[in-house]
Amino acid sequence: MTALTIRDLEVAYGGVTAVRGLSLDVEPGEIVGLIGPNGAGKSTTLHAVMGLVPARAGEIRIGDVSLRGRTPEAIARSGVALVPEGRRLFAELTVEENLRLGLAARSGSDGVDEDLAEIYELFPVCEEFRDRHSGALSGGQQQQLAIARAMISGPSFLLLDEPSLGLAPTIVDRVFESLRVIAKRGIGVLLVEQRAQRTVALAARTHVLANGELRLTLTPDDAADTDRMVAAYLS
Amino acid sequence: MRARRAAVEFLAPALLVVAAGIVGAFVSQTTEIYFVTALISVSTVVAIYVFVGNSGVLSFGHISFFAVGVWAAGVLSIPEAEKPATMPYLFDFLRSTTVGNVSSLVIAALVAGGFALLVGLPLMRLSGLAAGIATFAVLGITNNILRYYEKIGPGLNTFSSVPESTDLLQATVGAVLVIAAAFGYQRSRFGRQLRATREDPAAARAVGVSIYRQRLGSFALSGFLAGFAGGLYIQLIPIKVDAVYIDLTFITLAMLVIGGTTSLWGAVVGALFVSGLDSVLAEMEDGMTILGVTIDLPAGSRLIVVSSVMALVLIVRPGGLTGGREFSLPRLRPAVAK
Amino acid sequence: MSALLASGLGDFLRDAVDLQVQVDAIGLGAVFALMAVGIGLVFGVMRLVNFAYGQLIMAGAFALAYASDRDWPVGVGIALCFAVVLALSLAMERVVFRPLRTQSAAVMLIATFAVAFLLQSIALLWFGPLGKTATSLVQLNRPVEIGGLEIRKITIVAILTAVVCLALLVLLLNRTSIGLHMRAAAIDAQTARLLGVRANLVSTVSVLIAGALAAVVAVMLTVQFPTVTPTFALQETILVLAGVVVGGMTRLLSATLGGFLIGYVSGLLGGALPSSQSQYLPSFLFGLVILVLLIRPDGLFTRSRGLLERV
Repeated sequence: MTALTIRDLEVAYGGVTAVRGLSLDVEPGEIVGLIGPNGAGKSTTLHAVMGLVPARAGEIRIGDVSLRGRTPEAIARSGVALVPEGRRLFAELTVEENLRLGLAARSGSDGVDEDLAEIYELFPVCEEFRDRHSGALSGGQQQQLAIARAMISGPSFLLLDEPSLGLAPTIVDRVFESLRVIAKRGIGVLLVEQRAQRTVALAARTHVLANGELRLTLTPDDAADTDRMVAAYLS
Repeated sequence: MRARRAAVEFLAPALLVVAAGIVGAFVSQTTEIYFVTALISVSTVVAIYVFVGNSGVLSFGHISFFAVGVWAAGVLSIPEAEKPATMPYLFDFLRSTTVGNVSSLVIAALVAGGFALLVGLPLMRLSGLAAGIATFAVLGITNNILRYYEKIGPGLNTFSSVPESTDLLQATVGAVLVIAAAFGYQRSRFGRQLRATREDPAAARAVGVSIYRQRLGSFALSGFLAGFAGGLYIQLIPIKVDAVYIDLTFITLAMLVIGGTTSLWGAVVGALFVSGLDSVLAEMEDGMTILGVTIDLPAGSRLIVVSSVMALVLIVRPGGLTGGREFSLPRLRPAVAK
Repeated sequence: MSALLASGLGDFLRDAVDLQVQVDAIGLGAVFALMAVGIGLVFGVMRLVNFAYGQLIMAGAFALAYASDRDWPVGVGIALCFAVVLALSLAMERVVFRPLRTQSAAVMLIATFAVAFLLQSIALLWFGPLGKTATSLVQLNRPVEIGGLEIRKITIVAILTAVVCLALLVLLLNRTSIGLHMRAAAIDAQTARLLGVRANLVSTVSVLIAGALAAVVAVMLTVQFPTVTPTFALQETILVLAGVVVGGMTRLLSATLGGFLIGYVSGLLGGALPSSQSQYLPSFLFGLVILVLLIRPDGLFTRSRGLLERV
C-alpha cells in the first residue's frame, strides 16, 4: 500500500520561507505527529499538501503520484482529507448537510451506507443532531462532526490541524481515541498539534518543527521526557 | 542617491508631459486638440491617482469632482450678458459674478476640493467593494443634481459660451502643476503614511497612523486637483452634463489601470498612451492612410479597443504598463549578489 | 403651501393605493427580483459584482429583435435569446471572472465595468444608437380584464414566471448536491474546496443560472419596451444593484427582497407620482445606498456578517 511522502518541502509566503527542507512519511494505518511552537510551519505544511499554498520546492506524493500543482478539490478527491484549524464547519447548514458535503470528494457511491454507519458509531453526535444547525453544537461535538465530515469522503489519509484546540482534556482523550480507531482501519493520519506530550504518546513518530525546519523526531518512549523536547525548541 | 531618485520620480512624468506639449506645438491645428485633451487627461488621471493609487481604495466618484469643477469654472467665467441664454434660472449671485481665467480655475479647484472633503467625511470609513459602490452612488447623485438643478448651471443644456482659454501652453502647465502636487504629496509624510496603510493596514494602525484621516486628506486633495482639471476642460470645449458621467469615469479609470494604478509614472503613461490610442483610432474612424494603406474603422470602435485593452491588462498584467512602479534610471552598478 | 402639499400627498396616496397601480408595481418588482437573484447568486458564490449583467439582458433583447426582424416564430426567438445570453455568460466566466478570482473585489469590479463597456460599445457599433425593435411578443402587452381591473397580460406572466423561477431555484439550492455545493461555496469557498467541491463547476453553474434569468428578464422587458438600444436595461440594472446593496448583498434572500422592493417602489412612484416630482428620485435612492453602506453594510434585511470591509 502506498504512503504519503513529503521530501525536501519548501514553502514560501510572500518573501518569508515558512517551511524548509521538510521530509516525512505517513504509512497507511499509522499516526504521525507534527508539533512545534506557533509559526513553526506546521499548518503551512498541511496547507501545502492540500494545495492551498504552492510549494516552492520539494515533493509531495502518494506513492508515485505527485500532488504538487493540483487544485485542493482534486487533491481531496485523490483521497486526502483535511480537518482544518478551527474546524471550519458551515454553521448555517445542518449537521446532515455538513456531512453530505463531505461526500463531494468521494469517488463512487458504493459503500456510502456502510461508511455512514461506521461514522455514526464513532461519532454518535452526527446521527443524534442530524437536523440541527451545526453552529448549535458544542466545541467537542463540532470537532467530532468535522472529523466525520472528512471521513465520509473515504480518504486514504487524514490530516488534522490542531483538533484539540479549545477542547477540555476529557474531550481531547475521546478525539485522540477516535484517531486511533481510524488509523486501525488502515488510514494514514498526520496530526498537527500544540499538545506535545499527548501527541508523542499517541503517534508512531512525532516530528518537531521549529522555524520551518524539522529538528527532531520523537517516539512514544520519549513521551515522558519533555526536557529533550524543550531543548529542541530552543536550539 | 535618494535625492536623485526623487528628482527622477518627478522629472520623468513632468518632462514627458512637457515633451508632449512641445510636440503638440508643431502639429496642425486640427491635430493640436488631441494633444490638449491628452494633457487635460493627464491632469485628471493624476488627480484620481493621488487618492486611488496611494490609498489602494477604488473610487468611481472622482468625475463628480471633475464635473463640479466644470460647473464652477464654466458658470463663473461666462460673461454676464451671455449667461441667461443657456442658464436662465441661475442664482443671482452666480449670474452677476464673472471672473477671469486663472481665478475661475482656482475657484473650481476649491469648490471641488470642498465638495470632496464633504463627501469624504462619511465615506472614508469604507474600503473595497463598499467604497466602490458608495463612490459610484456619489457620481450618480452629482450627475442627477447637475442635470436638474438649473439654479447652479445649464442643467441639460449644452454648456456653451465659456471663453476658450485653455490652450496647449495652459494644458501643459496645468498638467505639470498637478504632477508636482501629486509628487509633493506622495513624498510628504502624509502620502507616505497613506501608502503604508495600503501595504499593511494593521502595521500602519499599530504605529498610530489614522487610516481615516489620511484617506480623507488624500481624497480632498484629489478632488481639488480633479476640479482644476475640470475647469481646464470646460474652457476648452462646450459639453453636456452626460459627458462628465459614466463614460468619462470609465475612460479615466481605464487610463489609470492600463498605465499602472500605484505610481505617478503609471498615471501619466496611462493617460498619454490611451489618449494617443484613442486619437489614432478616432483618425482611423475618419479614414486614415498609413504607408499607402487606408484604414477606415467603423464609428464606435475606439471604445471597444480601449475596453478590450483594459480587460486584457487586468487579466494578464494587473500592474499595468509600468508595473505600478515609478520611473527609475537603469542601475549604473550591478546589484549586490545575494 | 401646506394645504397644497397635503392635497398633493392625498392625491399621491389615493393613486398609490389604487389596485391597478399596485398590480403593475408588483409586476415590476417581480422582474427586478429576478435580476436581483441573478446578481446576488453570482456575488454569493464568486464574490463578484457583475456590472455587466445589464448588458447580458441587452444582448438577449437584441437577439429577440434580430429574430423578430426576420419574422421567425416566437419560440425560435426565445431560444436564440437564451442561446446568446448563456454563451455570453459562459465566455465572461471563462475569460474574465475565472482568471481574476484571486484578485481583490475592487479589481473584479473594474473588470466587469470594462466588460460592460465593451459589450455596450459592440452593440453600439453593430446596431447603432437607435437600436432595433422586438415585436413578436407584443400582444402580451395588451390588457385583460380581471375583476374590474385592466391588467396587462405581461404583468401576470411576469409574476407567475418569477414565482416559478424562484421556487425552482430554492428547490435546486436545498435539495440537490450542486445546490448544496453552491451554498457551501457561498459561505466558505476554501473549506468547500477542501471537501472536494469543484470550484469551477460551481462558478459555471451559478453563471449559467444567472444567465438564464437574464434571458427570462430580456423576454419580459422587451414586451413592455420593444425598442432595444445599446443602453437597454442599463437604468434598471443600476436600480437593481442599488436595491441589492440596500437589501443585503451577502444573502440571496435579502438581495432578492431588496430587488423586489426597489422595483415595487419604482412602480408605485412611477404610477402615482407626477413626473416633475420624480426628477431627484435617483439621488434619493443613491443616498439611501450610501446610508446603508455606512450603517448596515450587509444590508437592511440581514444579520450583520461583516463581509463588506470597513475601516
